[in-house]
Amino acid sequence: MNEACRQIRRDLLAVAYHSGNGHLPTCFSVVEMIYAAYGVMKHDPANPKWEQRDLFILSKGHAALALYSVLGELGYFPPEDVFTLGRKGSIFGCHPDRTKIPGIEASTGSLGHGIGLAAGMALAFKIQKSERRVFTLIGDGESNEGSVWEAVMVAAHQKLSNLTILYDDNRSHARGLPIENPAERFRAFGCEVLEVDGHDVSALKAACAGRGETVRVVVARTVKGHGCKTLVDNVYEWHRRSPNDAEMPLLLEELNAQPV
Amino acid sequence: MRSQFKQTVMDIAKTDDRIVLVLGDISVYMFKAFQDLYPDRFYNMGICENTLISVAAGLSSQGFHPFVHSITPFVTERSFEQIKLDMCYNGFGGNIVSCGASFDYAWDGATHQCATDLAILRLLPDMVVFQPGSKREVDALIRARYASGGTTYYRLSDHPHAIELPDIVPGKGIVLRNESAPLTVMTAGPILPSVIEACRDLAVNLVYFHTIKPIDRDLVNSFKQTEILVVQDAHGLFEAVAEIPGTRVWRQGLPDAFLRDYGKVQDMRQFVGLDPASIRLAVEARLSEQAAA
Repeated sequence: MNEACRQIRRDLLAVAYHSGNGHLPTCFSVVEMIYAAYGVMKHDPANPKWEQRDLFILSKGHAALALYSVLGELGYFPPEDVFTLGRKGSIFGCHPDRTKIPGIEASTGSLGHGIGLAAGMALAFKIQKSERRVFTLIGDGESNEGSVWEAVMVAAHQKLSNLTILYDDNRSHARGLPIENPAERFRAFGCEVLEVDGHDVSALKAACAGRGETVRVVVARTVKGHGCKTLVDNVYEWHRRSPNDAEMPLLLEELNAQPV
Repeated sequence: MRSQFKQTVMDIAKTDDRIVLVLGDISVYMFKAFQDLYPDRFYNMGICENTLISVAAGLSSQGFHPFVHSITPFVTERSFEQIKLDMCYNGFGGNIVSCGASFDYAWDGATHQCATDLAILRLLPDMVVFQPGSKREVDALIRARYASGGTTYYRLSDHPHAIELPDIVPGKGIVLRNESAPLTVMTAGPILPSVIEACRDLAVNLVYFHTIKPIDRDLVNSFKQTEILVVQDAHGLFEAVAEIPGTRVWRQGLPDAFLRDYGKVQDMRQFVGLDPASIRLAVEARLSEQAAA
């Protein structure tokens, strides 16, 4: 496991433990994806509103804690500030809010909005003849929403080569309406598609680098709860809960035991 | 009104290169001149109203002034959550311009009719909601508001009135007649001529609104000592007036039922009690009640 991503997971556990809030399994599946995206994006933690920055939209807003932990490690704010997650007066909700948090570009939470928003931002950059890029992260369960595919069609038709969609293929919705063969589907909708191991930071960075002829979709094969066996084996039980005093050391032990 | 919408946009686009048209396969030919002049800011994006709003919000986030345009129920009722979250909550405001108000497409049936757009959109914080009745109102309201950065709804009708009005100021209602009568008829939008005809020789005050939100509270309050009868061809004005404390408000128009008939807009208005004769009966009924009280 990438050491930075291991630390981000430690931060995630700490926040969930201290706050009593968090969607740990889904957050653990996207840590490398978010970390890799910020690794190729132009951005400045000291100047979150830098006018030449690339944009990241977390369409699956319930993974907000993962985004907070990445932004915290990158220096947008002290990671321990997020310990207030979900509390009265905190700027950190269980879904991200652009009006409160440095580095958050869009307030999300209701699924199926991110690609459309990101497409509009990418279209704006295209009109402005800007080199700025837009990244958005969506989930496989989220992709049950028709608005996802509507927006993908529009983005591909407009050949928004400055838009990259990160698809978290953690099979979270296998029990509901599974999205079989997502790469094939996105190709059929006119996108360029790359398939990678969603926990391989180098592979993810390579997939996010540069731009092609149209919208790029990075289908990232991920595991819900990746990094802690307890979470992986009990994703539904852990969907919205946080660790207690007895569970915290066990989860940290499992995380620390992950090979580099 | 659509032709006025085009003329106004063409005119302001001469000096504002931040205007972007996002069309839902509606009025595409009408805007050909815009497309020819500004091809990189003209998008017939497809029949996908949710995405039209989201994309417009994204454009707005980067400093553009988008105009999203499609048929009333599809761009409002269908896209309500995108308007609520992508535009209003995120603060990525845009201009939403609908056509086919209420019963304009009477022959198309209930799928193409819409009486709830004003009422639901006025519930969203920070939205501005316009129901212009004439071309001049369309022009004035767009010019006043399009670059505000906020989210604004303009409801266009194919049946504008041509009644001369004083200055058109967003958020300001207009007193057309004040006879210090105990009954005030309030109305909005293109139905105004029917209301004027219905009340032509009746002793009532007559107040007109093009802005449903923010409602002109001062003006409503100035008639609070009278009974108020709202005559409306879409939900919205009645609720806006009635929620002002101390008002005594009645309503004419729009039963709690789908319109299952076809015809022309005049037929629909007759069905729902918005033709001049029905309006007059409603006003006379209020006046009789008052006289008997």
